[in-house]
Amino acid sequence: MIKALISAILSLLVVVGASLFEQNYLKNSFGEFERAVSVTYEKTQNHTAVKEDVLSVQDLWVEKKKTLHIFIPHNDIKEVDLWVSEAVTLVENEKWEDALSKLEVVLEMVEQIPKTYSLRIENIL
Amino acid sequence: MAIIFLRSAIIYIALLFIMRLMGKRQIGEMQPFEFTVTLLIAELACIPMSDFSIPLLYGISAIVAVFVLHQFMALLDKSNKVFKFLFSGKPSVVINKNGVDFSELKKNNLDVSDLIESMRILGYFSLDAVSYAIYEANGTLSALENENIETSSDLPLLIVKGGKTDKKNLEKIGYTEDKLNKFLLKQGIKKIKNVGVFTVDGGGRFYLQQFNKKYQTGNLKINKENI
Repeated sequence: MIKALISAILSLLVVVGASLFEQNYLKNSFGEFERAVSVTYEKTQNHTAVKEDVLSVQDLWVEKKKTLHIFIPHNDIKEVDLWVSEAVTLVENEKWEDALSKLEVVLEMVEQIPKTYSLRIENIL
Repeated sequence: MAIIFLRSAIIYIALLFIMRLMGKRQIGEMQPFEFTVTLLIAELACIPMSDFSIPLLYGISAIVAVFVLHQFMALLDKSNKVFKFLFSGKPSVVINKNGVDFSELKKNNLDVSDLIESMRILGYFSLDAVSYAIYEANGTLSALENENIETSSDLPLLIVKGGKTDKKNLEKIGYTEDKLNKFLLKQGIKKIKNVGVFTVDGGGRFYLQQFNKKYQTGNLKINKENI
């Protein structure tokens, strides 16, 4: 009986610990990525962005997504991949308006994805 | 991860609640909370295995949630009678010295034919072959043999169940509805809807019980050719 109780409590503690880590990790990862996208967005608004700016955002995302695959569904990650890739080409071709709309979508996704996986009643029910 | 854990916990509790409401018919040799785990684990393990757009962690956290809840349920089940009743239910005495207890059967979403089927599995073919029959919390039937009754080699046919006549079986014993009504009237039963169960075996031995009354047995003349 004590063994069963200990195993249940230990499992529960592992889940609580892992959940706290997951929430914190998602918040930090997406926060960092959002800041990088915002900088590129502002540069694109001022028509001063260059291909390397978006490529650095893409590199950061590639780095982050390696671990994010553990925590969030791969389809969500693929969506961000696609929008960032499109932004790279549009900035390279100086199609500022189109690039801005793509980056706006990326920003919105980066804001929404962590919310989808945060501990809220609407996400549980 | 926490969301998956909580969602799994909610589904587990909902499933357990529904299993308890469904009665003993749906459970086979398992306590309701064990049955709930069996139902959940297979699906939980399968989905992240086959759908690789879902992180494996989702499946693992759901399985851990089910494990944690199961351990707590098992502990509560063993430690307290109230919890045991809540999670597992209690045994139901469906046959007592008065015969079949129809209200107990109804509480467990069972009818006489389910009871007869369970009894046949135990090797008892007549309702009066046992003094007591108990549906355990896990859905299995336990019976105490009636030592005063000689075992018969004839298979009883269910003629009336819950106030309704089985016309095919009635024909087999060579009876019409009129003849059956006359017989019932002789036994002091005015309407067929008052009959909870009426069986007749190949030797003409019958078992008759009205709802909320003691059963009666006896012999009647039947056509034995078709049985």
